[in-house]
Amino acid sequence: MIKRHPFLSLLMLGLLVLLGLAWPNRVHLAAFPEIISAYTAKEYCSCRYVMDNPAEYCVSYASQYIPLSGFFDDAQSKRVTASGLGRSSTAVWIGPREGCRLQEQADELPH
Amino acid sequence: MSIPFLRRLGLTVSLCASAALAQAENWPAADWAVGITPTGAAVEAFEAYSFPPRDDANPVGVRTDAVLVIRDGKVIYERYAGPTKASTPHLTWSVSKSLIAAVMGVAYAEGRFKLSDPVAMHYPPFAAHPHIKMGHLFNWASGLDWQEDYELAPLRSSVVAMLYTRGRDDMAAFTAAHQQEAEPGTRFRYSSGDSTVIAATLKSMVGEQAYADYPWTALFEPLGITSAVWESDPTGTFVGSSYAYMTARDLARVGLLMARGGRWQDQQLLPEAWVNFNLTPFADFKALTPNEEVPGGQWWLNVAFEGAPKPWPDVPPTAFAALGHWGQSLYVLPEQDLVIVRYADDRDGSYQHNEFLKRALAAFAGEAQP
Repeated sequence: MIKRHPFLSLLMLGLLVLLGLAWPNRVHLAAFPEIISAYTAKEYCSCRYVMDNPAEYCVSYASQYIPLSGFFDDAQSKRVTASGLGRSSTAVWIGPREGCRLQEQADELPH
Repeated sequence: MSIPFLRRLGLTVSLCASAALAQAENWPAADWAVGITPTGAAVEAFEAYSFPPRDDANPVGVRTDAVLVIRDGKVIYERYAGPTKASTPHLTWSVSKSLIAAVMGVAYAEGRFKLSDPVAMHYPPFAAHPHIKMGHLFNWASGLDWQEDYELAPLRSSVVAMLYTRGRDDMAAFTAAHQQEAEPGTRFRYSSGDSTVIAATLKSMVGEQAYADYPWTALFEPLGITSAVWESDPTGTFVGSSYAYMTARDLARVGLLMARGGRWQDQQLLPEAWVNFNLTPFADFKALTPNEEVPGGQWWLNVAFEGAPKPWPDVPPTAFAALGHWGQSLYVLPEQDLVIVRYADDRDGSYQHNEFLKRALAAFAGEAQP
């Protein structure tokens, strides 16, 4: 097998090593992609609607190394939705003392 | 002269003296009184460090959003930068931990809990950890297997998971689900989980109804704080670790309260024993890196401890602080009668507390020295 398919064997070995590394971290890995959208939606919402900073400033304030695939700030209802790494999150401004909170379900991004 | 007359005279004299003493002490009313702002080379050196040119598109170096200096109960210096204004309720990040400690100090004064109470007595999900006591949480010594890294190890970070992913629906329950790794009370490990569980214990102490307003009724309103925002998770638990906001002028009120031993004008809002606990080093603390601030009860101390020199060498050992992510700081220097708020957006590690405070002392404490 190794002699006949040296590259395939190497690839298989690589996959096994990756799987071995990933398995103990599976819970963390499953949750990880959501960080990008959740962080951006929540921190942008608070930057904009709690701290009352300008929208343009809040975009750079809440940006991360991994770029977003979608973003919508519904200024009318103070709902902020961000998408990245295949996940979406929505944060909503609740009130003057309560500030912003992430919602269980993300809003659909407008097309 | 009769003895009663002398006694009355003595009483009058002592009353006058205490009235003079009370007058000598400045307290903010609806707003702060403003004193004379110092000028000169020391102030320029302080500003050169605190407010270098700033580029929001390329956030590197020291990026101060606000500095407010209170001396003897009056504003003597105030400057804002970037989008932050005097009216901005700025995110305090982990300064929130010291704020929840102050809120809990009022609950402590009301006899609602003791430091020796098991956490489970006030927050049932901690039945899984029956030996963790309230005091352990305040010292960040629950012994739970918590990972606090933000940017360095986001994958395994407990705090990132608590705030944004797996833990966000019920942050205290997420913390409670962590494994017991060390004997409670024997190991310091900085943990936003411990601080958020503190916020959760308050719910059963005061009742669900009063809980949502308690930080305001117990602490913010008596201090005249009007700008506070405190975000909570979907169960209503305040994010005690991270999500309190207020203006620099309002945060300085908490600094003044602590500088004056928990007393606000003539009311002992936080018991002296509580403030003493806040400012007592956690006994089992061992500094792992140089210049590590010494943990007290949700506050940070500048004391030499267990062979390690004081973390801020140019700052008096009586100084203490509430410290948060990206440079948020509330410094209290009781000896100099100084309270300093610094809000910031420091995205790298270039900002140094010691350098800032050294220059602040040279600029603002000079005339107060005899």
